[in-house]
Amino acid sequence: MKLENTKAQMRKGVLELCILSIISEKDVYPSDIIKQLKKHELTVVEGTIYPLLTRLKNAGLLSYYWQESTSGPPRKYFQITDLGKSFLGELTETWNKLVYAVNQSTKNINQ
Amino acid sequence: MNKIFNINLGGYPCTIDEDAYEELKAYLKAIRHHFRSSEGYEEIVADIETRMAELFQENLNGRPIITNQDVEIAISIMGTPEDFGAEIPEEEKVKTKSSKFNIKTGKRLFKDTNDQVVGGVCSGIAAYFGIEDPLWVRLFFVLITISGGFGIIAYLILWAILPKAETAADRLSMKGEKINVASIAKTIEEEIDHFSDKISEWGDEIGSKKKAKKKKVKYETV
Repeated sequence: MKLENTKAQMRKGVLELCILSIISEKDVYPSDIIKQLKKHELTVVEGTIYPLLTRLKNAGLLSYYWQESTSGPPRKYFQITDLGKSFLGELTETWNKLVYAVNQSTKNINQ
Repeated sequence: MNKIFNINLGGYPCTIDEDAYEELKAYLKAIRHHFRSSEGYEEIVADIETRMAELFQENLNGRPIITNQDVEIAISIMGTPEDFGAEIPEEEKVKTKSSKFNIKTGKRLFKDTNDQVVGGVCSGIAAYFGIEDPLWVRLFFVLITISGGFGIIAYLILWAILPKAETAADRLSMKGEKINVASIAKTIEEEIDHFSDKISEWGDEIGSKKKAKKKKVKYETV
């Protein structure tokens, strides 16, 4: 059992929730998501989120549109769908319960 | 001094120097290999290529040619398959649980078709156990064939059930080596060498056959 792997698994588990939540605020370009995550000290490489975005898009939770860019090729902007919004709602609820449960279970460590 | 290439990266034209081109090529190959069984493979790879092109553009700041350094910076932002490696083990765990024949060390038994006398079974076994010369395995099979005939049956069964080591990743797991960008690039290079050796062998063979024919013709006319 490797510590790094376990840490990465933990991060990966919450990544979908974070991405959906960031996109629900405004339409974004993938590198903007990375910037936001970095600002909150959740550091992931860009390559990690492309497969996630594709999966969320194929599941109908996200959609995208093309926008011309001044500095290179046209950019794919992602926006959340109605289905994505209700999905995010349920995820958030589960997350809050989970945070409570984990906090309660690990009380002994934090004291 | 270095050669430069004009490439189409995710639908965007880029001018890149030779060394940087090789590095980028190896990286994209590793990316494709990593995502090959992911849902939406084509789209993921296309997105990553486009983003790489954009990162180059941002980094160049008006400079005309992409260099090694630019490629390294872009890779550090994008991450290598090892960086997002944590995504894969989940699927692999499921695989090892469901099939009893998968060996946990990552080593797998293959037929080594690059070094075959009959079907490549012996050289595959030699690679698996780290025996340098497959001749020993071949001798062993001959021996147990002579002493009871079981060898032939065992060989035929292995021939039928073992998969061929076709991709670079197969060849690495045959030898139990770690699969990453560097090792895949190394294996592919070896394979290209092997292939060009074969071609020159064929060339020699054809050449000598032609000569033989010519000689024959001469004799007939004489």
